[in-house]
Amino acid sequence: MRRGMVIDLEKCIGCRSCAVACKQHNAQPAGSWWNRVVTPGSDRHLTASTPQNLYFLPIHCQHCNNAPCVKVCPVGATYQTDDGTVLIDFERCIGCRYCMAACPYGVRQFNWESSKDGMQRYEYQNNYTYGYPEPFRLDNRLVYSPVRSKGVVEKCHFCAHYQAQGLDPACVRACPGKARHVGDLDDPDSRVSQMIRQMNGFTLLPEKGTRPNVYYLPPKRKEV
Amino acid sequence: MGVSKKISLTVFGLIMAAGALMWLIQLWRGLILTDMNNAYSWGLYVSALAFFVGNAAGGLVLSSMIYLFGVTALKPFARIGALCAFANVAAAMLIVLPDLGRPFRVLNLLLHPQIMSPLVWDVIVLNLYAGLSLIYLYLLMLPDLAARTGILKKITLPVKDPAGFSDTWARRLAPFSLVAAVGIHVVTAWIFATQGARGWWHTAVMAPDFVAAALASGTAVVMLVAVLCYGTADKFQSAFRIMAIFIATAFFIHIFLMYNDFVIHAWYGTDHARETLAITLQEYGLAHAFEVLAPLAGVVLLLNARVRKTMSGIMAGCLLIIAGIFIHRILLMPAAFNQMPLTLAPLGSQHTLWSVPIASGRYAPPAETFVSHHSYFPTLVEILIFAGVLSFVCALILVAVHQLPVVKEG
Repeated sequence: MRRGMVIDLEKCIGCRSCAVACKQHNAQPAGSWWNRVVTPGSDRHLTASTPQNLYFLPIHCQHCNNAPCVKVCPVGATYQTDDGTVLIDFERCIGCRYCMAACPYGVRQFNWESSKDGMQRYEYQNNYTYGYPEPFRLDNRLVYSPVRSKGVVEKCHFCAHYQAQGLDPACVRACPGKARHVGDLDDPDSRVSQMIRQMNGFTLLPEKGTRPNVYYLPPKRKEV
Repeated sequence: MGVSKKISLTVFGLIMAAGALMWLIQLWRGLILTDMNNAYSWGLYVSALAFFVGNAAGGLVLSSMIYLFGVTALKPFARIGALCAFANVAAAMLIVLPDLGRPFRVLNLLLHPQIMSPLVWDVIVLNLYAGLSLIYLYLLMLPDLAARTGILKKITLPVKDPAGFSDTWARRLAPFSLVAAVGIHVVTAWIFATQGARGWWHTAVMAPDFVAAALASGTAVVMLVAVLCYGTADKFQSAFRIMAIFIATAFFIHIFLMYNDFVIHAWYGTDHARETLAITLQEYGLAHAFEVLAPLAGVVLLLNARVRKTMSGIMAGCLLIIAGIFIHRILLMPAAFNQMPLTLAPLGSQHTLWSVPIASGRYAPPAETFVSHHSYFPTLVEILIFAGVLSFVCALILVAVHQLPVVKEG
């Protein structure tokens, strides 16, 4: 079993619901984004500055098979589960940020200050809270906690807490365009394997040799 | 201890106290007090690690030249070499601590070491080298320790012929010291050079270049301390000449390796290589000019026999070389972090290189949430913590020279 995701760029409408659902469900500190949707070529968020074909690209942890972040971590805080998911043990991370230098996708986020200080800095209203309320441990390792402490690195954990309940990740469930699919990449008959095969699935930065478990399907039509 | 030494020690102590205070505040508030962000995640602290590791090379140069290659003219400076090596390698390990988000978990390195990580290799070789430098210093001082009183007398090995014992064991340890010393530079370079994500670092030339730059700055550190301790008397001139030639050779090899890498990447001209070179040569053009011209001026000074007869000349030459290599270490970061590894050619405008921005992770009202460029400049907190560790090196050397038989009288 190798847990993978397929994102169909033809179906992505650029609404960023996935990024928002991810941020809310996973109680991400102010300023942290595990999941982001970019418009290639744009200066800011939505429009491209040069005449070109517009499409949207959601990016989060690619859960690489040859994950540089796992290999550089000096204490094994970042590790890979049997199904290929890359997780971070919040209780073991020493905050050296070597993994952030190692990741070619820029998906790792550091807690530069405590969640509380961050909320104040961003002027969230008092007592505004969000996110899955319970800590989640996998093999006795803390891979999700609603309260984040400063000084550790975090990123997409493939919604390990929801997977334990038989649920799909928040981004998959929240996508109004039905652009996201999860499944077993080792099974050639799984839906995700078929989609990759039939619709020219590709990965980001194949030249880096990271062999991601997140695949993209190219957009057929683009807005001009 | 003379008045000037007391004043120096007080100044170093005050800077160390300021650095320690800043670290306490940083522990309390978090690394938000630095100028790093998610896209630019290493700054002055990690550059300083590379700088101090490089400065620790001097011990190797002296011990292997004396005991492996028979350059006996350098013998009076052997103890200073071992002392400078220890002080700088200790500083290298010290400066990593404020860079950690969770320094109190540093024990995890012992409890859960992950052997694939170059950082674990570095911790091992740095500790080995620190231990070896201390043993070396002890062995070299042994002939003079018995004459001292108090604790120094108590730790003296009761051997019949201390001078002969010291010489024999220094010679026996020299090959190991050479391997460990080359090891700290190579492994520290591998921390960066193994990272395929960062084009600026991912080059096989980094480890040999790191060794070359370290031999230049490490020898300059020993020469600086030596001239401060012994002055420029005639009997030391041949030692200074040998060190000057050694520094010059190491520096020119460093320059050759660096530009060799630039030329190869610039000629083929991939977008990523052009971008990293533009960052270093244009955006940081002044810093690049300094990293080349300052040590070059230092080398020109040191190669002049008349300059080597003056204290101020040798000091200026050594400081120019050390400062140049420091800026070289600083320049490890901008081209690595300001060239986003994930770039795309947007559909329909294939000839543009578009960097995928990263959530900065820190709030600043006028700035973007997602960034693809950051003009990093260390904050006062980072600068004071670095200055504190630098003062620690100076204070340690000053106190050791005063308390231990490091400098032979007469």
